[in-house]
Amino acid sequence: MSGLHRVLALAAGAAALGALAAGEPTGRALDVTVLAREIAAERDHVSAPELGAWIVAGEPVRVFDLRDATAHETLRVPTSERIDLAALAKLDLPRDTRIVLYSEGGAHAAQAWVLLRARGYTDVRFLREGLYEWVARVLEPRLAVDATPAESAAYLQAAPLARHFGGQPRRGVARAEVPTGYWTEPARRTTTARTDVVGSVRRRGC
Amino acid sequence: MSAPYLDGGGMYLASAPLLGFAFGWLLERAGMGHPKKLARQFYLRDLTVFKVLFSALITAMLGAFWLARAGVLELGRVYVPETYLLPQLAGGAVFGVGFVLAGLCPGTACVATASGRSDGVAAVLGMLAGVLAFALVPGLHELSLVTPRGPLTLPQQLGMSTGAVVFLVSAVALAGFAAAARLERRA
Repeated sequence: MSGLHRVLALAAGAAALGALAAGEPTGRALDVTVLAREIAAERDHVSAPELGAWIVAGEPVRVFDLRDATAHETLRVPTSERIDLAALAKLDLPRDTRIVLYSEGGAHAAQAWVLLRARGYTDVRFLREGLYEWVARVLEPRLAVDATPAESAAYLQAAPLARHFGGQPRRGVARAEVPTGYWTEPARRTTTARTDVVGSVRRRGC
Repeated sequence: MSAPYLDGGGMYLASAPLLGFAFGWLLERAGMGHPKKLARQFYLRDLTVFKVLFSALITAMLGAFWLARAGVLELGRVYVPETYLLPQLAGGAVFGVGFVLAGLCPGTACVATASGRSDGVAAVLGMLAGVLAFALVPGLHELSLVTPRGPLTLPQQLGMSTGAVVFLVSAVALAGFAAAARLERRA
């Protein structure tokens, strides 16, 4: 074995020992049990008011809209960029970039969440009910005439955010006109009462 | 793992012949276009094949690991061929018999042909005949897809971290190189 061979063998041995210590080539391998824990702990999504607060505070967050160009042009979350799943699969950003995804409903964004987590992005969230949630909770928060104290408190927080984004908070509306979703307790899925804007957001689930 | 680029594109396509020529040239430089040298591998008298191929393997493995770690290579986009257990066992046996008979494997047969060796040409023609027969004989394609196991990787199968597998394979290779050097001195 020549001197060069010894040097190469030593280099390979050192690199292999380093690999043993490093564990995984991507720093964090995709571990489905970790993903399952994140989903169970509801760390996979962000609420629309939280996202609104991040944007207002100027926090570094990249917001991606998975809907088509027409829908994006019509109505979108401020600062959001349109992207499709194919482009998302090739997205090249620092892996610790904070990313928020949304689509019409939640399904498409949830799929995109798994995709980005699989690609090593560590700080990814999605809007659970998509643009509908943004409209219902940020742009047009409503307070029912028979609101509970908790609902009134939430409305007082939501109203300034709505005004900031050019929305229109409304108080004293009939209970049936208050949009509902996962955020209401108990969850009511009757989303019959919406304004024109809310109604224009098609809830196709992707 | 092979074919690191799943995406199309002219640049990637252009890299294929460059890599192919480099591969062939390196095989020729290592003396692997000579059937007698390759056949001596099976009698443990000349372990060049083992040394060259295992050197390439651990170089690629360590390179892929550390490039991925540095964020340069995205391992999720590296194609992992699917396993079809019985067809690949049968294919491995055919490959092995052909290797011993011809003293050449597909890559080195091409190298031998490029070097002007007639036995290399014979091996390449035999290989192409086999490919043609596979395409023309009905039912062979379906037979090649039985017992599918999907893409398998050692870390998955052994339940170990990728780094631990990289270390183990490297340790086996380095120990193998030392043993090969000793065997060749004795031969």
